[in-house]
Amino acid sequence: MDVTEYIKLVFTDYTLRTITLGTAVLGAVCGMLGSFAVLRKQSLLGDAISHAALPGIAIAFLISGAKDSNVLLLGALVSGLIGTFWIRGIITKTHLKADTALGLILSLFFGFGMLLLTFIQKQPNANQAGLDKYLFGQAATLVESDVWLMATVTGICFVVLMLFWKEFKILLFDADYTKTLGFNTKFIDILITTFIVLAIVLGLQTVGVVLMSAMLLAPAAAARQWTNSLGIMIILAAIFGAFSGVFGTAISASQNNLSTGPIIVIIAGIFVIISFIFSPNRGLLFKQIRFIKNRRDLQLNKTLAFMHQIAKTHESISHPHTVKILNNFQGYTRSTLQQLVNKNYVKLEGNMWSLTEEGFTKASNLYNQQTSDNE
Amino acid sequence: MSNAQIEIQLIACIVAIACAIPGTFLVLRKMAMISDAISHSILPGIVVGFFITQDLNSPLLILLAAFTGIITVVLVEYIQKTGLVKEDTAIGLVFPTLFSIGVILIAKNANDVHLDVDAVLLGELAFAPFDRLRISGVDVGPKSLWIIGSILLITLGLLIAFFKELKISTFDKGLAASLGFSPIIIHYGLMTVSSITTVGAFDAVGAILVVALMIAPAASAYLLTTDLKLMIIYSICFGVFSAISGYWLAHGLDASIAGSITTMLGILFLVIYLFAPNKGIIAILYREKQQRTEVSLLTFLLHLKNHKEIEERHVNHLNEHINWQKVRSKTVLDLALKNNMISIDKNIVSLTAKGDEFTSQAIDYIITNEDTQIEDMKDDFFLFRG
Repeated sequence: MDVTEYIKLVFTDYTLRTITLGTAVLGAVCGMLGSFAVLRKQSLLGDAISHAALPGIAIAFLISGAKDSNVLLLGALVSGLIGTFWIRGIITKTHLKADTALGLILSLFFGFGMLLLTFIQKQPNANQAGLDKYLFGQAATLVESDVWLMATVTGICFVVLMLFWKEFKILLFDADYTKTLGFNTKFIDILITTFIVLAIVLGLQTVGVVLMSAMLLAPAAAARQWTNSLGIMIILAAIFGAFSGVFGTAISASQNNLSTGPIIVIIAGIFVIISFIFSPNRGLLFKQIRFIKNRRDLQLNKTLAFMHQIAKTHESISHPHTVKILNNFQGYTRSTLQQLVNKNYVKLEGNMWSLTEEGFTKASNLYNQQTSDNE
Repeated sequence: MSNAQIEIQLIACIVAIACAIPGTFLVLRKMAMISDAISHSILPGIVVGFFITQDLNSPLLILLAAFTGIITVVLVEYIQKTGLVKEDTAIGLVFPTLFSIGVILIAKNANDVHLDVDAVLLGELAFAPFDRLRISGVDVGPKSLWIIGSILLITLGLLIAFFKELKISTFDKGLAASLGFSPIIIHYGLMTVSSITTVGAFDAVGAILVVALMIAPAASAYLLTTDLKLMIIYSICFGVFSAISGYWLAHGLDASIAGSITTMLGILFLVIYLFAPNKGIIAILYREKQQRTEVSLLTFLLHLKNHKEIEERHVNHLNEHINWQKVRSKTVLDLALKNNMISIDKNIVSLTAKGDEFTSQAIDYIITNEDTQIEDMKDDFFLFRG
C-alpha cells in the first residue's frame, strides 16, 4: 500500500478513519496533560498508573461479567486513582522515596492484575478473550463510540484547562505561593492528577499498559525543547502527540505484523530525538555550535592579547615579528591568525606579522568591559 | 508434593533471594525505577540474542540482554546530563522506546521466533521444570534453576566481597570517593548485577515480577529496620515467604504463579505499611495525633505562665481564648492534670511547680531555636504521653 492509496483509504475506509482519528485525539490529549506530568516531575507516575489500572479492568470484568469497554475503563480509572493516592500516601507518610513508591505500586498492582486475568481465563465464560489486549493495546479494536468518548474527554479537559488555566499554571511553578494566595491547592492538584489518570486510562485500549507512559511523556518532552511558555508547550505537545498517532497508524496499517502502539511510541521517540538535537535554544546541536564559537572567540582574543604583549615592548606597534614566535602559544592556529587578518587587526607579510593601529587599540581594551564594541 | 512442585518453589525462592540483594541497594540509592526500566528494555537484547543463539537459556543471550540493560542506564544518564529534561522523564522516555523496538523486532520476525512478548513480561514459572539441563545425558535439574542459581552465587560473592564499599557508597558518596572507592565502578557494578539478575529471572518469573521482587521486599524491610545487614536479611525472608506462599495461592486459584507471588508481596507490604512499629501508617498517625496534643499542651502551659490574672486562667475563658473545641480542651486539660503540670481549684487553672519548670525550659529551648530538644525534655517530664 503506497502513500496516496493510504490517504485515499483514510477518507473512505471506516475502520482506518476511526483508528486514525482515535490515535490522533489520544495523542493530542496525552500531549496536553503530559506537559503537566513532565513539568511537575511526575513523569513516571504515568507508567505507574497505567500498570495500576490493570486490576481495575479485571475486577470490573469480574463484577459486570461483560466486556463493555466503558465499564472496564471505569474500573481502570478507579484502580488507577487508588494507585495514585496510595503512591502519595507512601511518599508523604513514610520515609520511602518517590521512586520506590512508584515501582512498588506499579509492580504490585500489575502482578495482582495478572493474577486476576489468569484467574478469569480459567473461568467458564466465553466472554473473557481479548482482555489481554489492554496489555499491549490494539488500536484496531477502536470503534466509533470509543473515539467519541475520547473526543468528549478531550473536550472536557480542554474546557477545564481553560477555566483553571491560571490556577494550574501557578501551582505548577510555585506551589507555596499558590497556597499563600489562598487557592485550594489540594483541589487543583487532585483535579489535574485525575485528568492525567483519565488520559492514561483512555490510552490503555490503544497503546496498552506498558507503552502508555511514553505516550504521555514523549510529546511533552519534545515540546519542552522548543519553547519556554506553558501555553505554547501544551499546544505543541498536543500537535506532536496527534502527529505521532496519525503517522504511527499510517505506518502500522501499511505494513504487516506491526502493532500500532509500539510504532506510535517510536514515532514519538523520533520527535523527541529531533527536538533534543535541533531545537534552536536548548538543542544539543546548536549548543555545541555555540560552544565551539565561544571557544574560537576566546582563542582569537587570547592570540590578540599575546600579540599585544609583544608589540608593547617595541617602540612602533607595527614592528613586524615572525610567526614562529606564536608557535609556542596555545591559542594560536593558522585559522585564528587568518581571522585576525580578516578583521584588519593584524597585517601578514610572508612569515612576519604586525599589529595594526586598530588591532592594538582593540587588544589594549580587551579586558576593559566598558568599551562598547567588546565581543 | 511432586518433584516439579518442589523444583518450582525452589526456583521461585532462589529468584526471590537473587532479586532481594540488588533490590535493597536500589531502594536505598533511590534508583528503584531504574530496575523497572531495565526489566523492560532488555527485550530488544533478548530478541537479538535469540536470533543469534536460538536458545532462551544460553549464557550468551543473558549477557547480550544484560548489556542492553546497561545501555539503558547509560542512555538515561546521558539524557539526564544534557539537562534537556528532568531526571525521571529521561527514564520514562528511554525504556518504552527500547521496549517498542523489541516488540516490533518480534512482530516482524514472528514466523521464525518462538518468543512471545507476554511470556517475556509475565513469564511462566509452571513450565520452568520442563526445560531440563542434561550433562552427558544425565538429568541434573531444570535449566533455569542452574542459571538463576549461578547468578545468585555470583551476587552473593560480590556482596560479601564488596559489602563495605557498597555500604559506604550508598550512604555517603563523597566519603566513598575520598576513601578511594570509585563510586562510578560500584554504580555500574550494581547496575550490571541488577541487569543480569533481571535477565536471568525474566524467563522464569517475567519482567514485572522481577521488579516486584526487587523493590517490594526491600521497601517492606526498610519500613522495619534501618540496619543495612538486617534489611538485606529481612528482604530475603520476605522474598522467600512470598515465593512459597504465592506458589500455593496460585495452586489454589489455578492462576499465574508470578501474579500470585506479586500479590503475596503486595499483601505483605500492605500489612507492614499499616502496622510497622515505628514507620507504619498507624504508628505515624498515632504519633502525629500525640504530637498535636502535646503541642497544644505546651501552648496551653505557656498561656498559663504568661497570665497571672485570675480571669485569664478560668477554665471557660481558656476554652474561648485559645479557640479550642470542647473535646480538645478537655484532652489537653486531662493530660496536663495527669502529668501534674497544673492544678485546678474552683475552675481556676494554675501551674504547679513541675509545670512551671517544664514551661521555663521549653521557653529557653524555643528562644534559642533548639525546638527539637523539647522532644527529649518530654521524656523527662511526662508520665503520660498525649
